[in-house]
Amino acid sequence: MIWRIIFLALMVPLFGKDIYFTRSGTVSFFSSTPIEDIKAINEQTTCVLDIETGDVSFRIPIRGFIFKNGLMQEHFNENYLESDRYPNASFTGSIEGWKDITLSEKLQPVSLKGTMNIHGISKDISESGNILMKGNRVIGSATFKITVSDYEIEIPKILRDNIAKVVDVTVDISLKKK
Amino acid sequence: MNRFLFVFTSLIISLTAQDDMLELIDDGTINPVPVQATFKATRIVNSQSIELTRPKTLEFMILHRFGSMNNGFYDLFGMDEAAIRFDLKYGINDRISLGAGRSSLNKTYDIFTKLKLLKQTSGGSSFPFSLALFSKMEISTIDQDLSMSDQLTFDIQVLAARKFNPSISVQVMPTFIHRNLVQTANESHDLLSFGIGGRVKVTRRVSINTDTFFPLGERNESFKQSWGLGCDIETGGHVFQLMITNVQGSFESDYIENATGTFDELNLFLGFNITRVFSL
Repeated sequence: MIWRIIFLALMVPLFGKDIYFTRSGTVSFFSSTPIEDIKAINEQTTCVLDIETGDVSFRIPIRGFIFKNGLMQEHFNENYLESDRYPNASFTGSIEGWKDITLSEKLQPVSLKGTMNIHGISKDISESGNILMKGNRVIGSATFKITVSDYEIEIPKILRDNIAKVVDVTVDISLKKK
Repeated sequence: MNRFLFVFTSLIISLTAQDDMLELIDDGTINPVPVQATFKATRIVNSQSIELTRPKTLEFMILHRFGSMNNGFYDLFGMDEAAIRFDLKYGINDRISLGAGRSSLNKTYDIFTKLKLLKQTSGGSSFPFSLALFSKMEISTIDQDLSMSDQLTFDIQVLAARKFNPSISVQVMPTFIHRNLVQTANESHDLLSFGIGGRVKVTRRVSINTDTFFPLGERNESFKQSWGLGCDIETGGHVFQLMITNVQGSFESDYIENATGTFDELNLFLGFNITRVFSL
């Protein structure tokens, strides 16, 4: 009896959730104004997908955004996103209608709904993306827009013409089974 | 006994059922990341800061010191006079930068390098401070009759800095200066000093900075310990540094060893540095 219970206790963590994940997802953003274009890429994004429920979590380390211009990268961390205080951006939510989705090699449009947290500000969002399964990997992508002022990121007056009020965000992830 | 075990088991189960899915894949390793922006510019006030010109970036700096403030409104606190320095620096990579400059004081040209040896990191197995080596050769061309070797001065500084938190950074800088030519026989060719500088950030774009150099060993009676008190203002691609200091020159052998100003009759200097960077 005792051994059976101990065995059970040991087994439970192994029966955990059926999870696909990555620690090297790509998130990039693009700000375009007539004066200049600014682009940064982050290849350290963590993403977890629960294949049973369709729940999704993202964690994007702000310091992981690489700019071509080192000074911009420093200002992005120091002055705009304040990465000392808010080291990560995150999204926690789920894929809508997950039960009706069968993953295949065909690209399928999906809709994600959940809470985005950037710069310490949470906001409920709903965005669309694509998902497919290739071999043993789940591949997802999305493009959407973020309004900078929604997350209380202040842009000083003299730079208002250089930084877009709405930036384009692109997400590309390739998840493997845990 | 069995009941106890059962409770124990269910406790373990409930502990392993985590709410946050991200925790399920966390393996506990946090990659250390280099600490950014210990100072806003490559100078604290007068002294070199731990910051290097960024990789593949050209940095143009204007260091401007007005005349002594002791004439008051007659020359608008020294505004009629100026000692000016230009320098141009290039970041080869994130550890090596090279530069050359020219100062109007003693018509001094110089070439210099700053090497980043160690980087302060945070997160994971963090490293507590940054270390850099600054070296410079100055050529004073005001006296044309001197031989080339008599015009030379060499500076070597070890810069060690720590960013304690987002607003407070402190730097120490043991300094060695060798002058090939000295004014009198009892002056030493080799001078040691110990500099301390720091900053407190007051807003995201403004910080208050200060630095000073303590002499080690004998100096002339006329020697004064140099100091500077300034304020950094950062805009997009520029850093403006406004300061009040007791030394007019803005190159190492002058601002460390040749301070002239005192508080008596406000014999001090106003000045500013402007940094502009160009990405190549």
